[in-house]
Amino acid sequence: MSNTVIIWIGLPAAVSLLLILLQRWQKITAIIATLLPLILAGLAGLFLNDLVLTVAGRQFILEDSLVVFGRIVQINASQLGIVSLLYFICFAWNALSRLFDESRWFNSLSLFITALWVSVQFVTPFIYSAVIIELIALTSVPLLSPRGTPAKKGIIRFLSMQTLALPLILVSGWMVTGIETSPSAQALVLRGTILVLLGFVLWVGIFPLHSWLPMLTEESPPWTVSFLLVMMQVGFALFFLKFLNQYGWLRTLPELDTFLRWIGTFCILWAGLIAAFQTDLNRLLGYFFLAETGYIAFSMAYRGTNGLEVMTMSFVTRVLAHWALGFSLSSLQRLTGFQSLSFDSLRGIIRRYPFTSILLICSLLNVIGMPLFSLYPTKHIIWNLISTDNQAITILVAAGIFGMLTILLRLFSAIIHPEIKNEESTPEEPGTETIGLKIMVILILLVIVLPGIFPDILSRPLSELLVSFENLTH
Amino acid sequence: MSELLRNVPLYLVLLAALVNLVRRQWIVNLAALTVQFLFLFPIVRLILPLELALIQPFTGLMVTLILYLTLMNVGGIEPGNLKRRPSSGEIFRGLSGLLLLAMLYTFLPSLQREVFPLVPGDHLYLSIGLILLGLMQLGTIREPFYLSIGILTFLSGFQLLYYALDYSFLLEALLVAVNLLLAIVGAYFIVKNAESNEA
Repeated sequence: MSNTVIIWIGLPAAVSLLLILLQRWQKITAIIATLLPLILAGLAGLFLNDLVLTVAGRQFILEDSLVVFGRIVQINASQLGIVSLLYFICFAWNALSRLFDESRWFNSLSLFITALWVSVQFVTPFIYSAVIIELIALTSVPLLSPRGTPAKKGIIRFLSMQTLALPLILVSGWMVTGIETSPSAQALVLRGTILVLLGFVLWVGIFPLHSWLPMLTEESPPWTVSFLLVMMQVGFALFFLKFLNQYGWLRTLPELDTFLRWIGTFCILWAGLIAAFQTDLNRLLGYFFLAETGYIAFSMAYRGTNGLEVMTMSFVTRVLAHWALGFSLSSLQRLTGFQSLSFDSLRGIIRRYPFTSILLICSLLNVIGMPLFSLYPTKHIIWNLISTDNQAITILVAAGIFGMLTILLRLFSAIIHPEIKNEESTPEEPGTETIGLKIMVILILLVIVLPGIFPDILSRPLSELLVSFENLTH
Repeated sequence: MSELLRNVPLYLVLLAALVNLVRRQWIVNLAALTVQFLFLFPIVRLILPLELALIQPFTGLMVTLILYLTLMNVGGIEPGNLKRRPSSGEIFRGLSGLLLLAMLYTFLPSLQREVFPLVPGDHLYLSIGLILLGLMQLGTIREPFYLSIGILTFLSGFQLLYYALDYSFLLEALLVAVNLLLAIVGAYFIVKNAESNEA
């Protein structure tokens, strides 16, 4: 048991399999799936400096690697920040999962998926992680497409895209072996770069191959889909850093930064422009994820000017921003009784559900990057970097943000206008905001507002996250 | 003549993948999937030792069995009707599949020379052929059963290619897990769709 791989991958994976058997007892599975990630995240924080822990004069020393099928899985002390972040995400979503009508697989599979994402970061050779990502996609299916409804377009497209990315990444790994010493390196660099970038574009759902993103958020429960997408976004960002850290030829490619900048631009622009015309709140979630991917691409493009530090600073705030947004959408679904949160179904809700409505508006303001909210400080830095770098990109990004503000105003207009009386579309027993929900909303509002006023609160814990990417920090 | 006989498994695998692309009859598709996985064995055996070469066909048969049992449970499988006249969609998919294979045959020498010089020509033709037919399947259908078959065909082509490039026990174990999980996901989709059709 005194091995980091067993503690942070083996144990949670085994417990999640056990929880599958115990899923009839939903309360127990929810409690275990909440407490275990919290303990694992805390433990990872404790061992951040070295793998030795002294308690009451006794020393606990952890081994940092395990051989699996002849290959090494290694988690050393400097990498435990990543582990802590991933289990924190799992904890945050499981802690409130009982409030919503989630799939009964959510607790067990979310823990399993987190363990898989942790293993993605630490398998050697790291290129094999592509297959683990395919396993994650397949494991996500019961959560994204619950029983009772036929399989829809979004989930099918999601699965297809994730599968298509797998060979691209694996073949790229084989193709670039020995690239540094190859006489015809230029052609190999070009092929390797195309394969790696195309693989990530398919995986993450980057413009123009993002169509599954809004489809999936429209079809799936918001609490579940926000968990899976946040996990994916953080997991892929860290995994891409691993590529940059390992592959000198990719890191030093001058065109890479230009490519990342334009990817970021189009993600934000497209997300904003298309979001401005949407009438379904669930689909908006997908477009906001696309925009966030754009900001991550910018952070990587500006890695020479502290872009990566900005990205690590924003990890926790970004996670909590989507947690708050997921909470508000799920609460609205539960309160209104509508599965699809179209603008028509949300008319006048600010009178019926003032707390949840305010949380929704504040969550969107936060995700857009408005001042006083937690994502503002990091987005402000990115906007500054963009504006001093390229005017065309600045204008396009501004147009994207303008689109997002437009949809916010449209939504605001919808929720303050009186509802249209339509007995057929009104659910029989709309819910009411309980005291517990109101307190929860106030707490979440504090979580997304306080880090905007005191940016150090949530950015400091992950300041050492980049230590394990030694080639990117020197 | 001997070369033609040596390539019989290759043509059978491609024919089975083509049948899966063209026909939309569960029993025919399951039979074709079985042929596809069984006849992969002699091809994989050429580059891997016996015990390792058995893994992919064996996993494939387990996957087919999972899909077969699921289809049986959701309402049974109708007997195959091979005399049925092909629809325009089937003719289109069949011709497109053949065109893809013909184009691949044309470009194979340059692909082999430029990108995969270490992979034998027949092996490369079969693996890329399966990848292309799998991709076409993914692009032309939304029904979960055929989606599963498309992904399985795509992945078996890729696995075949990767065997010739690099072999790792860990990767093999992970790919077996992916194949089995894919069958379970396919079964889940089939049951889910059947339930929502009944409701």
